[in-house]
Order: sequence, then C-alpha cells, then structure tokens
Amino acid sequence: MAKVLYIDYERCIGCKACVIGCEECSGHDHLSRMFVDELNPGETVATSPTPCMHCVTPACAESCPVQAIAIADDGTVLSASLEKCIGCKNCTYACPFGIPRVDDVKKVMYKCDMCYDRTSKGRPPMCASVCPTDTIRFVDEHEIKSEPPKEVQFKWDFGGTVIETRTVIGLPDTETNRYGYREGDGVQS
Amino acid sequence: MGHAQNKDYAQRDYDAILRDGEELISTHCCFCGMQCGMNIRVNKEDKSVLGVEPRYDFPMNGGRLCPKGVSAYRQAEHVERLNHPLIRKNGKLEQATWDEAMDLIVSKIQEIQGKYGKDAFGIYSGSSMTNEKCYLMGKFARIGLGTKNIDYNGRYCMSSASVGFNQSIGIDRGSTNPWSDIKFADVLLIAGSNTAECHPLSMPYIWGARDRGAKLIVVDPRQTKTALVADVHLDIRPGTDVAIANGLLHVMIEEDLVDHDFIQKHTTGFEELKELVKKYTPAHVSEITGVAVDKIITAARLFGQAKNGFTMFARGVEQHATGTDSVSNYVNLCLVTGKMGRKGSGVATFTGQGNGQGGREHGQKTDQLPGFRKITDPKAREYIAGVWGVDESEIPGPGLSAFEMLQALGKEIKGLLLICSNPIVSSPTVGDVGEYLKSLDFFVCMDFFLSESAEQADVVLPSTVWVEDNGTMTNVEGRVLRVKGIDRTPGETKRDWKVICEIAERLGRGQYFQFNSPEDIFNELRVASKGGTADYYGITYEKLDKMQGVFWPCPTEESEGLPRLFEDLKFNFPDGKARILAFEHKGPNEKTSKDYPIILSTGRVVFHYLSGNQTRRIEALRNFCPDPYVEIHPNLAKKYNIEHGEFVKVSSPRGSIELAAKVTKITREDMVFVPYHWGKSLAINHLTNPALEPKSKIPEFKVCAVKLEKIASRAGEKHG
Ligand code: SF4
Ligand code: SF4
Ligand code: SF4
Repeated sequence: MAKVLYIDYERCIGCKACVIGCEECSGHDHLSRMFVDELNPGETVATSPTPCMHCVTPACAESCPVQAIAIADDGTVLSASLEKCIGCKNCTYACPFGIPRVDDVKKVMYKCDMCYDRTSKGRPPMCASVCPTDTIRFVDEHEIKSEPPKEVQFKWDFGGTVIETRTVIGLPDTETNRYGYREGDGVQS
Repeated sequence: MGHAQNKDYAQRDYDAILRDGEELISTHCCFCGMQCGMNIRVNKEDKSVLGVEPRYDFPMNGGRLCPKGVSAYRQAEHVERLNHPLIRKNGKLEQATWDEAMDLIVSKIQEIQGKYGKDAFGIYSGSSMTNEKCYLMGKFARIGLGTKNIDYNGRYCMSSASVGFNQSIGIDRGSTNPWSDIKFADVLLIAGSNTAECHPLSMPYIWGARDRGAKLIVVDPRQTKTALVADVHLDIRPGTDVAIANGLLHVMIEEDLVDHDFIQKHTTGFEELKELVKKYTPAHVSEITGVAVDKIITAARLFGQAKNGFTMFARGVEQHATGTDSVSNYVNLCLVTGKMGRKGSGVATFTGQGNGQGGREHGQKTDQLPGFRKITDPKAREYIAGVWGVDESEIPGPGLSAFEMLQALGKEIKGLLLICSNPIVSSPTVGDVGEYLKSLDFFVCMDFFLSESAEQADVVLPSTVWVEDNGTMTNVEGRVLRVKGIDRTPGETKRDWKVICEIAERLGRGQYFQFNSPEDIFNELRVASKGGTADYYGITYEKLDKMQGVFWPCPTEESEGLPRLFEDLKFNFPDGKARILAFEHKGPNEKTSKDYPIILSTGRVVFHYLSGNQTRRIEALRNFCPDPYVEIHPNLAKKYNIEHGEFVKVSSPRGSIELAAKVTKITREDMVFVPYHWGKSLAINHLTNPALEPKSKIPEFKVCAVKLEKIASRAGEKHG
C-alpha cells in the first residue's frame, strides 16, 4: 500500500533534524531538500517543516519543457533527472508551494523525492525517520486520508484550482484547543 | 520487540539500510541523557566514518534523532580534531611526542605533590564519558594520585536533583520509572525544562500521553515549544519554584485532592507541610511568582484529580541557590497525591549530560565512592578498599566540589588534570575562572578538540572521540547501555583509559590499574558497586546486548534489573516511608535592584550541547545558530528603545557581554534569556552568580540581576 508523509504542525519544535537528516539519504548529494519555517517569529516559537507536497497532478512535472521530473509508480514526484534537467526554473515558478529549487552552479533542480532510495526499499524517508517529535510520519495514504487522527488537509484551493496532494497536513486544533496550541499569546506577566 | 521491558517504547519495525562497502556500528549519541541509539556508517576498508543510519529497533528513540544526534558523527573526521600531544613552549602549544608529554606530566605531578602534598593535584572530570572512564577517574584520583580533590562537571548539572531525590525518596536514580511509563500518565507536570529543545526524544512519550488525553502543565518563565502546547502554562518569575509548588500543594490540600491513605501509610512529614503551605494561598503565590491565580488553581486541580501522573523537571528548577528545596517540593506533589510506584506515576529529572546519571554513581564525585557510597562512611571505605586492594586509610576523605575547586586553583591546588569538560565556558564568573587556571603551576587537559579551557593548558593530550569509544553509559531512565566503538585511534590519539593507566604505571601505582579493556574496568566496577545503592553487579556486557540495556539496581546475575522503582511502595529509608519535606520560599540569592533591575536566565538551544566545544564545530549546527542572542519581551525592548537585531549590552555586577536582541513575546517582561553555549567574549557566564546551593553546591546559573543598555547597531551583523 502506498505510503505518504503526514505532517502534524503542532508537534514541530523547529529543530531541523529533518533538514540535516535529509542530507544523509544517498542520492541527495548532501544537499537538503527539506525546509523549516518559523510561523510567526517574535510572537511564538511555532515552526513547520515543508517537504514536497507530492501533488497528485504535479504542476512542476507538467510545466517541465524536457520532462525531467518523473513520477514514480507509487506516486512520488521525483527530483529532476540530472541528464535531462536544463535548469530553466519553470518548475520553481509552476509549483504553488514553492518547493523545487535550482542549484545555480550545477544548473540542476533539486527537490524532495521522499528519499526514493529509502522508500523504494520500504524504509521511511530520512526526515520521517529522524524527526524526534513524530511531526513527520510515513503512513498509509488511504488510512490517513480516510481516518485521520485529527483535522487534516490535502486539498488546496489556489484561486479556484483545487490541487490534491499526497502529503497530508494535520492542522493545529486552535478551536477546541485540545492541545492548548495558542498562536502567539506569549507569556502573561 | 526484543526484551519484555521494552514493550511500550518508541521503536519501529524497520531494518537499517546497509550500503555496499560499509558496515554499521550500532552505538549511542554522545550528547544528552536520552542516549539515543544510532548506527554509524563506516567504510569497511579504511574505517572512516561516512554518516549515520537510523537504528529503528533501539527502544528509547526508535531511529529518531535530534539535530545534534544526526550530525554528531561529523566530529569523527573533523579537521580540528587533536592528533598529537601538545606541550606549551615559549607560551605556545606545540606538537610533542607522547613520551615527552607523559614524562612532563608525571614529573610535574611528583614535583607538585612532593612540595605541597598529595591534595595539591586535583582532577576536574566530566560526565559525558563512559561509566568505565568515570569509575577509573575516581579510582585514579584516590589511589593513583592519592588526592581528595576530584570532582566533576555534573556538579553544575544534576547535583540538586541528586540531593533532592535522596532526601525525599532515599535514592538518586534520575527517573523512578522507565520512560515508556510517561505515555500512561493522565497528567504531566513539567517544570524548568525546555523538554522539546533539550531532550527532544522525550516528545514521542509526551505526545503519547497527550494522544491518550493526558493534561500537560508546564512551569517555565518562557513560552517554550513545550509550554506552547500545554493545557496550563505557569509562567513563573525565575527562582520562584518553591512558591509555585507550595501554591499547588495549598490548593490540593484545601480542596482535598490528596491521597490520605498513601500519605498515612507511606510518608512522613505531611502535617508540617500542611501547616506551612497554609499561607501560600493562590493570591499570595500569584504575587510571588507572577502567575495568574486562576492558572494556579486550574493546574492544582488538573494534577490533584488525575489518577496517574508525573512531575518532571530539569536545570530550570535545579540550578538555584534553593535547588534542592525545589526538587523535593516538586516530588511532594507526587507524594501527597499518591502518584508513585505505578505505570504512569512517578518523578524524573531530565539528564543534561550524556552520562549525567552514571557519571555521578561511581565515585568521581568528591564525596562519593562507587555505587553511590558515601566516602565518609567507614563501612563503605572498607569495602572499596578491599575491592581496590589497598588499606582503608589510603582512601582520602572528601575534597572540594567543582566550583570550590576552581576557586582553590593556584592556592590549595597547584596542579590540575582536566578531562572531558570545559569549565572556562560552563562555570559562573568565567572571567575569574580564566585567572584561576592561569595561576596553576601545571595544567594538563585531555580532549579531542582544543576547547577554550584546553587552550590554556600546559599539556594537551589528544583523546579519541565517542564513535571510537567502547563501554557503557547510563541514560535518563537509569538504563545502563552499551556503547560500541569503531576499533581505531586516528593519528596519535589514544584512549583515555589507557592514558590514565599509563600515568598510574609511571607513578608507580600500576599494580592497581591492570586493565586490558573497558570490559575489565566494568567488571571491577560491578564488584565495587555491589551492595551499594547503584548496584551494577548483575549487569554484564552480554546482558546489555541481549536486553538493549539493563536498569539498575541489578544486584545478581539472575536479576534483569528494575525498570520501575517503588512498586512495593517501600522507599529507601529504614522505615520504608518517603519524606514529605516543607520549604519556605526564599527566592534567588541575588535580587534585582535599581541598578540591575532585570532578571537574567540562561539555558540551551536545540542545536548546541553544553559549552559548544563540540557542536559549534559542526557546520550544520553552527549555521542554524551561529551566535548567542538575548531574548527580550517587546514591552521591555520598547522601554529601552531596542529593536529586533540591534546590539545590547547586558551587564551584571560581575561582568558584561554584547549581544544581538531577539525581541519576542515568548519571554517574561521582567527577564531576559541568553543561551550559554559560547566561550570567550560571548560567554554569558561572565555574568552569572557563583552563589552555591548549600547542600548540592550547584551554582545559581538560572537567576542573576542585570541591566540592559542599547548600543549602536552594527551594520551588516545579523542576530542568530
Ligand atoms: S525534525 Fe521534526 S520537529 Fe524537527 S524541525 Fe523537522 S519536523 Fe520539526
Ligand atoms: S509540491 Fe511542488 S514540487 Fe511537489 S509535486 Fe507539487 S508542484 Fe511538484
Ligand atoms: S542529543 Fe539527546 S535527544 Fe538528541 S539525539 Fe542525542 S541523545 Fe538523542
């Protein structure tokens, strides 16, 4: 059964172990493909990791003039092939999530490929392997989409165009405050 | 998976990937007390270290690692590793041979001890070393050198927890329960611990409890990531832990949320506590701590009403002039509500240093002999003398504690051996500490990088790094585990234990140090600890492998160790009853004043470890957090007209430091926070107060009084 990334923002501590871990996957050339952002710096310590969302119909691959971005049988959107990529950055502009980067020196695109080296052998990607807080998990796609442990999002509306992603995001429960996740109220003193 | 004791842990069902031409060395992280398991990828041919591969089957972390753990292996081939012995010649450290270095060391030891007596040569040891090395240092001090002056940097770290646990429950194991028990708590009270950043691998357990519906109470002056997700965040003024615990106790007693049966059968001292906390009403406590009344009441109810629960704490509670009181007072919360001795109920302190636990058990603490024996106890002395094959009178008495020892340098102590520590960054008033070190007649240091302290030494000996180490460590739970090294000693590096044995040999004490391997040392340690509180006698290397670590006490060969203490509710006192102790709030040693109106607190960031000697050299970690900074609340920043990123001079009565401002709402308005992992002009310990806790001798790192002055912003410089 195909497995995907499930990311529970609430748990992220911004430690970037995922970023350093990503470098450890063979085939990543010691170049990380994971990003971690501060959600509201100065207000809170909340952070979130951003890997590729592995879109069901990936704009990056569709926009690539030389078809360098392959989609694996399990749906993983791979990094551009070294041989084919011409470094044109079309993918960077096309991706609504801003994921593909281009190495300006080597003139080649690189992005999260879910550690295909590992996942194709049945092991979790490095980010999901090392993440110390279980923020990033490697789970069954069908299960996480049909019976999520909390409210999740995997459909995104970009001005009327709905994009379904294989990466699933667990949303902070600010309403019932089940985990007390209060954005930015700081300390009281 | 594996042994039954590991059933509820976080391991995962995957195999590690093995790549062509490589072998995997399964070992443990060298940093914090979680002691996460990992595989090191090693080139089969030349034994070079290539990378890290998750070790999914180790129960504690199941392959997960924090950024320090992921990048730790990068030290192994680091260009700055020390490769040769160094001797100071004409003021400069120059390459030397081992013979030259050893000759010099031995002649200096003899000269100093001949002139000033045995105790004039001291050892300042560390707690990030294997149990074998820690044990060896204690033995080497007492019968190799014959000095009473040995202490270790764990004095700065866990000593208040140690005293607190001993006086309340009679045993100093950092956790009464296996870590997997955390998942079964209904309430978790975490105090003075930025768990998410300092012990990230505890988070799966905390989330495990949360997923089951457990409530989380966090006591911390800052809204750390741990506090951000808490049900109640008690945002206390630093140094008011005794008061907040008294407030919680007050409400629980008042609302009858205590366990009378447990109190009556298994504790003493409740009546005194009840009497004392009467005046600690929520309103009064709110005044002292700055925490809103309703939050105090809510927290007390959440804790009191829950069936099972933990109180857990760390340096934020311990590094105070009243650290031991605070520890015992947090233990009181569990004692009065009967949360002890069950799955999901107990107390724990987060171990800061890799082997903070084992390091304090086997006799490198100045007041202790192996197995947690008191050095002043005649029976203990006699037993250890027997193990060591010496006369009881040959074992010296207690000497000076870590910071006292530094203060005595150049005075009672003329020569110093420093191993595995960097006191010139980690001590309070580091400016003075630099002067103390300079006043030594002779200073020898063993390390694998040239730390700020090593830079001042007369002789520096190059050690192996942790991936080359073989031995055991004891983690945050009290689980003794096996560290397996790569069999190599690059350049002219040597293993610490061999160096120590060789010095002993040259001093004519070699007969007591006939060890051929760490396992030899461990086997002697087992006997030395036999019958002591931390009894390792039944633990063997074989058992450690088979069970993925063994919990102490493990007194016999048949025993499999004791993951959960006090299931029989017999505490470690002759009457079997735990001690409920009552404490008045005294507050920090240094109070704020007109001249120094703001509280300074210090702590860690997730990217660095202790003095930063190791992590600052790992590029990835350094890039994520290159410099220290001062966290200032927006309202406080406004008062001083400080903008985010601007430089600020922070001064205490002892010194000052210039730092970039990080303006953030996560910290209180009456305080500032600075991380402590940098040396020289960036060491925040220039400012901290050297006041010592009277019982544990821990310095009051967590509170001192400072003032802020804005300085002209420097163009082009960014804050970290
Ligand atoms: S490793 Fe996990 S917790 Fe750390 S930054 Fe990445 S997602 Fe967040
Ligand atoms: S998120 Fe971006 S990079 Fe990933 S598949 Fe979608 S379009 Fe491509
Ligand atoms: S520093 Fe601590 S939490 Fe991080 S990997 Fe090492 S042992 Fe685990």
